[in-house]
Amino acid sequence: MSFDNPWVHGLVMGLIIGNVSLAITGYSIWFERKFAGRMQNRPGPTVVGPWGLLQPVADVLKLMQKEDITPRGADKALFNIAPPLTVFAALSTLAVVPVAPGWIIADLHIGILFALALGSLMVFPVWMAGWASNNKYALLGGMRSAAQSISYEIPLLLSATVPIILADSFQVTQIVEAQLGGNWFAFWPPGPGFAAFALFFLCSLAESNRIPFDIPEAESELVAGVSTEYTGMKFGLFYLAEYLHTFIISLVAAALFLGGWDGPGDNDGFIWMAIKTLSLFVFIFWVRWSYMRYRSDQLMAMCWKFFLPLGLALVMFSALWVHWT
Amino acid sequence: MSWLESFDNLAVNLRNIFRPKNTEALPWEQQRERSARYRASFALVHNEHGEEACIGCKMCEKICPSDIITVVAGGRKESPATGKKRGYCDDFILDLNACIVCELCVQVCPEDAILMLKVQETPAFQREDLVLTMEKLYENEKLGATTWATGAKLIEMQAPPPPPPKPAPEKKPEAPAAAPPAKAEAPAPAETAPPAETKTSEEGGE
Amino acid sequence: MSGLESAPAAVTPDDNVQWTTVGGVRVPVELITPPWPDPYLDIEDYDPDADLMVLNMGPQHPSTHGVLRVKLFLDGEICVKCVPYLGYLHRGVEKLCEKLSYVQITPIVDKNDYVSPMMNELAINMAFEKLIEAEVPRRSQYIRTICAEIQRVGSHLLWLGTFGLDMGGAIGGGGSIFMHTFRERELLLDLFEDLTGCRFHYNTHTVGGNRHDIPAGWAAKATKVLAELNARCFEYEQFVRENEIFRARTVGVGVVDPVLAMELGISGPILRASGVDVDLRRDQPYAAYGEIDINVPTETAGDCFARYLVRVAEMRESIRIATELLKGIPEGPIGSLKPVKLAGAVKAKHGKAVYAAIESPRGELGTFVVGNTERRQAAIPYRCKIRSPSMHALQLLPYLCPGNNLSDIIVALGSLDPIMGEVDR
Repeated sequence: MSFDNPWVHGLVMGLIIGNVSLAITGYSIWFERKFAGRMQNRPGPTVVGPWGLLQPVADVLKLMQKEDITPRGADKALFNIAPPLTVFAALSTLAVVPVAPGWIIADLHIGILFALALGSLMVFPVWMAGWASNNKYALLGGMRSAAQSISYEIPLLLSATVPIILADSFQVTQIVEAQLGGNWFAFWPPGPGFAAFALFFLCSLAESNRIPFDIPEAESELVAGVSTEYTGMKFGLFYLAEYLHTFIISLVAAALFLGGWDGPGDNDGFIWMAIKTLSLFVFIFWVRWSYMRYRSDQLMAMCWKFFLPLGLALVMFSALWVHWT
Repeated sequence: MSWLESFDNLAVNLRNIFRPKNTEALPWEQQRERSARYRASFALVHNEHGEEACIGCKMCEKICPSDIITVVAGGRKESPATGKKRGYCDDFILDLNACIVCELCVQVCPEDAILMLKVQETPAFQREDLVLTMEKLYENEKLGATTWATGAKLIEMQAPPPPPPKPAPEKKPEAPAAAPPAKAEAPAPAETAPPAETKTSEEGGE
Repeated sequence: MSGLESAPAAVTPDDNVQWTTVGGVRVPVELITPPWPDPYLDIEDYDPDADLMVLNMGPQHPSTHGVLRVKLFLDGEICVKCVPYLGYLHRGVEKLCEKLSYVQITPIVDKNDYVSPMMNELAINMAFEKLIEAEVPRRSQYIRTICAEIQRVGSHLLWLGTFGLDMGGAIGGGGSIFMHTFRERELLLDLFEDLTGCRFHYNTHTVGGNRHDIPAGWAAKATKVLAELNARCFEYEQFVRENEIFRARTVGVGVVDPVLAMELGISGPILRASGVDVDLRRDQPYAAYGEIDINVPTETAGDCFARYLVRVAEMRESIRIATELLKGIPEGPIGSLKPVKLAGAVKAKHGKAVYAAIESPRGELGTFVVGNTERRQAAIPYRCKIRSPSMHALQLLPYLCPGNNLSDIIVALGSLDPIMGEVDR
């Protein structure tokens, strides 16, 4: 769709893509509970609506009608601004991700850099929430999360550099177009391409505090981590931001490494992007319900001693690859 | 390769997706199928003459470890059905809130008057609703869901067998096969006599 | 602190031994300065500039097993001192035992170790039988042993599930293994429902024997269930044992020195995982344990992973024992005393005191009973003291915490398997 006016184009795309993402995220709550239930030999939600399909609606209504408590001694400004800021940080990266040829909110020349920069904004609201809650559990969670997020950004950037070098552009649409025809960056160059994909995947899991890296919201130790003192819709916003970030990770990984809308043969299109994104999404849930979490110092050790050297090696390798081919 | 074993978790969960479900969503009114001996709530029953079986002996009240049973005895009167004198019970209160479901009251009842049910009481909004009055207990009898265990059956199950009868010399009359010797370990006649006889003998004794 | 060096050898008269006097008694200094740090050191004696944070893992917490309050002094994320507070679940059981008769005590004591209730019943009834010198028929012994072993399997299944919860969170990997183990536990609870009528808190053991006999077909059903469980054990092991994350969280964490464990009176899987081979089922056989062989699994590492290995091996061993015993249950009565009709049916010798202990899934569970000296009170014990193994295990907490992360404390606490019902009684 070629609207000439970039404002109109951006607005319409934003409405469509943003709303669809939020709807998918909302229904991912239903899907996750059903999926987890089946993995544990139980049906999952069945009561609210047929097959429990109205469960997200029930959850949202429940959260909205809960009392909004601010703990005594909490820093009110930071306390109130943290949840919406988390959602903003997650949602803003959606601006540069293409879901189909031409369907992108803003096709920036520095697309991927913009996405990663805004994604790293996620550190601040979590940190703010940890401090402003006036609660030791939240403080511990916030500190852990800040340390983890900051550390894992580096291998994330390094692994995202691999498709940038291979496609010779920061613009996400061009990265996807460089993979059309079957040479997805996850599989070509063989070996290190998959390593880069796996590294990107794991680092983004760590960025969004998902198991096996979810020590900041480890509920067996820290009750609920940074969101301990949040009630009602603010808690809902944290919850939403987490699922949203997960969805966006899948989108970005599919675009950068799995060829975006590239389909078999000549039929490219949105459906392939959807399939890739949703399969990554399901895989993230599968991992969540299967693994236990790492301890925070083990997380840090893994990041600095294993992921970072691997990221550097991959960047060097991809530079050499481009030079030789 | 040991790092491959890290994917075992995913494999186990995947395998479980294809197994049949362990839980089922029952409609609100239906209860799960329980075993024959399952014990939950209580009922007072009528005996075979159609009268209330409870004779107000207070054995259950004394044995209850949580002191939840209150029995108000009604004195001995002539029974309209059999013509013999027997005890009656004026009021019987059982506080289900504090019951620890130990089955001791069922075991000690000489008349098999108090029995346990296989169905739970419906949940209530107030504690007073779970204090079972005599009326409620007799109503529970009509549910027809009593569990297997009655006093007589429990005693029969637990009693040690009688020691073998001493070989009687010819001149003495033949002692019945279940004749208990004078030792204290012998069971009460409840073990081998049919339950009806048990009731009348115990009734007479009380 | 690892303290895995061998226990200090017996002190022999030697020139190199330093002697000191404690309370007028001359003792070698080695014996009174253990190789582990003193956990009860006053907090002011730590670095005064440390700026410690006091974190109260309070009675309500998703992962203290029951109501346990632990006051942690944290320096950043490292714990410097830990003070556990017990008593949040105290119900006065031992006081109740002073007013209830012998036959009424069993359903009350049932609720101590609420995860494996038949162990409590077994321990207390064994003590009562020893007190009144009653013989228990062989069939009853077999039923008691089979039930005890199945309870052990159930308890370890529950432990494994909650251990996974501690590490993975209820929404996450821990939740999955929790559901899997509880699914198996349901099969065991159904078995007990067939036998006694209750899924939990059965009141099935009594002085002199059992109150419920095995229904027809129970032995076959139990054998089938246990065979199924044996196969599922492999699946749990697959889930955790070779998993790199599990190993990273548990290997080397919460190492328990065997000498420390023995000093604190710890028994059961914790002691066996530290290398000390003690098992009451084999060393002081009770019930029907004398009639079969018991292979007691031990490990030497003493960390959480070793305790996990010991418990899973014990599960398999219990399944084997129960299956073997189920094949040959002797016929006969299940009680040796007249069945209870009166509260005062069982009377004990006046003033006699006995102690009887069993091997529960947590260690040595014992009861010390003193009979009443007054003739009128002969049906009521004078005192019942219950020795609970979890209470001794919790004494390890101040020794395990210092120097560890908060995450490690949770994992170590979980692997000690405390049940607050039996700690607080």
